Parts: sequence; structure tokens; C-alpha cells
Amino acid sequence: MLTVGAAAGPRAKLQLNGVSRHFGAVQALAKVDLGIAEGEFVTLIGPSGCGKSTLFNIVAGLLEADKGGEVLLDGAAASLLGKVAFMPQRDLLLPWRNVLDNAILAAEIEGQPKRAARETARSMAADFGLKGFEGHYPQQLSGGMRQRVALMRTFMFDRDVMLLDEPFGALDALTRAMMQRWLLDIWSRYRRTILFITHDIDEAIFLGDRVVVMSARPGSIKLERRIELPRPRDPALLTTPEFNAIKRELLDAVEEESLKTFAAGAV
Amino acid sequence: MNATLARGLAGGLLLLALWEAVVRLAQVPPWILPPPSGIVATTWSARGALLDAGAMTLFEATAGYAIGAALGLLLAMLLALTTPVRKLVLPMIVLINSVPVAAYAPLALLWFGTGALSKVVMVAFIVGFTVFLNALDGLLRVDPAAVSLFRSFGAGPLGLLWRLRLPSALPAILVGLRVSTVRSMIVAIVTEMLGSQKGLGWTIFEAVLQIDFLRVWAAILAASLISLSFFATVSAIERRLVFWR
Ligand SMILES: Nc1ncnc2c1ncn2[C@@H]1O[C@H](COP(=O)(O)OP(=O)(O)O)[C@@H](O)[C@H]1O
Ligand SMILES: [Mg+2]
Repeated sequence: MLTVGAAAGPRAKLQLNGVSRHFGAVQALAKVDLGIAEGEFVTLIGPSGCGKSTLFNIVAGLLEADKGGEVLLDGAAASLLGKVAFMPQRDLLLPWRNVLDNAILAAEIEGQPKRAARETARSMAADFGLKGFEGHYPQQLSGGMRQRVALMRTFMFDRDVMLLDEPFGALDALTRAMMQRWLLDIWSRYRRTILFITHDIDEAIFLGDRVVVMSARPGSIKLERRIELPRPRDPALLTTPEFNAIKRELLDAVEEESLKTFAAGAV
Repeated sequence: MNATLARGLAGGLLLLALWEAVVRLAQVPPWILPPPSGIVATTWSARGALLDAGAMTLFEATAGYAIGAALGLLLAMLLALTTPVRKLVLPMIVLINSVPVAAYAPLALLWFGTGALSKVVMVAFIVGFTVFLNALDGLLRVDPAAVSLFRSFGAGPLGLLWRLRLPSALPAILVGLRVSTVRSMIVAIVTEMLGSQKGLGWTIFEAVLQIDFLRVWAAILAASLISLSFFATVSAIERRLVFWR
């Protein structure tokens, strides 16, 4: 059941081979190998400071990996900037743009006419629970709504691969549970390849086709666990014996790494 | 905002009443300090000349303001785009800006004459610096994470400037534009005092020479009213444009 550094089947949508990165004397990532299949939902979990965001920045093309590693999108090693839809840890909504205009930001940068982009956004608003709020400004929205606007912005940047960096990290538990189910629903409809960072094991198992655990810094893949729980998933799943068995397995790995981070005085 | 305005008005009226009372009770001679009622009366009777002079000064101030604001903003955008050039010229600009305004005025009069042009140039110079420094600060002080997000969407330097840097800098730019209103009036008046045949600064200067202190005060009152309206107009625009603050 447990494999380390494996690829994702015959032809990976996204493939990382030996990706490392250091900042001065700090080694943030050490030889990350990871493959993600088309349409797969992979959750990435690891102690804070282990290099998850750094990994995302590399896959988004915002940061160079150290020499020797490669990131392949559809098998090709081209520049990744503008090729994957990236949702950073903070929502970064623009206070001078209303919900609709925040959502169309990427489309607008790509040169789509505003009017057409707004029409698309308007038709998606209901899916993202934003119907009736199209004209609201970010400062008028709740945390959960802001995240949905940021997610909509990411979905509207129409790329096969989506990187979501702890999108629900700042939400309260109830809102978060609701958003998780909602995201699965959206994902089943818009069908994208998703790489999702979280520090919440329940969330990682509940959402993922596969959970990837990263080691303490320098981050590398410690283990991968395929989650064969049936979809669609509902909250009752969280209390089943199967779920708990997986959770126990993963908890051991995650705790070991968190302890290393703790001992290193990084938390 | 309205409560603040009401309190300000009440305070101002109280101050005027006190002024009037003290001047009357202590029988202060008018050349030292005339009573507010005397100033208002003189302003009213000299309203034709004051209106002409005020229109001239307002024209110089607003023309210089518009030119200076446009140039300052343009330069800030250019330098925001070109980091190496910015690092080269910014220290020089800050140095020039640290010399007091009035020091340049005689040069402006020498080069551009005693007509409106020298005042417009001086005002444009000062407003340009103020707007430039505020705008550049705002343009550069953007959230690096937001820059990353824009780049991940494929935005280039111009897209970043237009969709992120300029809107982010709008609050700072409007602060610059707001403080520039009063500065533009001050500079126009001071330059008029140093050499001109028209305007409120010239009126004040002339009245001092003729020992007509009521007219000095009347011109000061007119200048204050114009300056205040200019400031209030730009403040109102600021509140509309920077609605998210
Ligand atoms: N731009 C940077 N410059 C220097 N150090 C960095 C930079 N970005 C990240 N780091 C360091 O790399 C490590 C991993 O950071 P990060 O990827 O943000 O971790 P995570 O997202 O897993 O919490 C941390 O020790 C962090 O201090
Ligand atoms: Mg992070």
C-alpha cells in the first residue's frame, strides 16, 4: 500500500524529477519526485516550513529549481509561467475590484474582452456560491466567500493543472467542512488536475485520490498513500473505520516529521 | 465626516468671536490686528479687485498643478518600470527636492518673466515633486505575493503597472494630490510677491507697501477661501476614487 517517490501511471500530467531548491544556506527542497495523473486530486501534507509553498512556486514557474531537477508538464520541460492555475496561500483579492472583476482577473490579463469574461463569470457565480454577490467588494465578504472568489479566479484561469496552497487554512472548522464538500462537487464538474496543500490530515484524506506526505525540511516525498474511498464522498466518511485506518497510518508519518521540525526549533 | 466638519465650523466661529472680542475690548490698533468684521467688510467692498486677483492666482495654481501632477505621475510610472535608471536618478531628484521652494523663485522670474508663466512653472515644479515622490512610493510598495500571482497569470511589466501597481498606488497618489492643492496656492502667492503685476500675492505685497493692512487681510481671506475650496474638491475626488479605504 505504501510507496515512496512513485510516478502516476503511464503518462503523468505533471511530473517532478529530483526537484531541489535552496535559499542561501537553507535547503528548502531536496530531490522531490512526484507524478500526478490527468484529472487526479492529490493532497500534499507536511510540517510547516518543509517547502510546500516553495514547491508550488517552482511548479507555477515563479521560482527556479536548482540545477539537476526537472518539472515536466505533459511530458515537456518548457517554462511553466502562465501554464498552471496557481492559488496562493492568501486570497490576494484586489479591494478595488468587485467579485466579478476579481474573478476575471486572469482572463483579463490574457487579453479576453472584459464583457465576455464577465458573462462567463456571471454564469459561474452560482456554482461558486456567489450568486447575488457579483457586485460586492472583497471587504464586504466573509472569509469563506473570499476563498470562493479566489477559487473562482483560479478556475477561470482555464488550465488543466491547479495548485491550491492551503485554500481553507484560515477558515473555521464548520466553514471548512462545507467548503471541502463544495470543492469536490466543483471538481467533479470542472474536472481538473489538482495539487492541494493542507496541514489537516482529515482534509487531505477526505479530498484526495492520493495523499503525499512531505518530510521535514529539507522537504522531500516521505510517502504516498492512495485513497480508495468511494466518491462522491460525504462527511459520514470521516467516522468510518476505513477512514480511521488510513488516518492512523498517515498520522504516524506526519507526526514523525513534525517532531523533527519541532526538535530543529523551526516551529 | 460631517460631525468633524460641524465641530471644525463651531471651533472656527468661536475663535472668530474671541478674536473680535479681544480686538474690540483691548482696542488693538487695526494695523496690528483688525477685527474679523472689519476684514469681512473690506473684502466685500474690494470684491471686484479681489475676484480678479483671486482668479489670476487660482489660474496659476491650477494650471501648474495640472502640469506638475501629470509630469510627476508620468515620471513615477516610467521610473517604476526601469529599476536601473531609478536607482541612478532618484538620489538626485531627492537632493533637488530638499532645497526650499522660495530659493528657486528668483530664477523662475529671471527665466520666465514676471507674468503668469513663472508662477505656473514654479507650481508645476513643486507639485510635480510631491506627486512624483508619493506616486513612486505607492507604485513600488506592492505586495510581492500579488506580483507573483499576476506573473503566474502571465502578466508582463505593463500589465502589472496598469492592473496592480497603479490601483495599489492610488491612495498614495491622491494623498500627494491633496497636499499639493495647498502647496500650489502657497507657491503661486509667494512667487507673485517676488515679482508680478497681478494676483493675490501681488495684492498683499502692494497693500503692505501702502500700509493698507485691512486689504492685506482681505487678500489673505480670499486666498484662504480659494485654497480651502481647492483642497475640499480634491478631497472629495479622493474619497470617491479610493472608495476601498
Ligand atoms: N524567498 C525565500 N528566501 C529565503 N528563504 C525562503 C524563501 N522562501 C522560503 N524560504 C524558506 O524555505 C523554507 C520553506 O518555506 P515554505 O516553502 O514557505 O514552507 P511551507 O509552505 O511548507 O510552510 C522555509 O524555511 C523558508 O524560510
Ligand atoms: Mg506555505
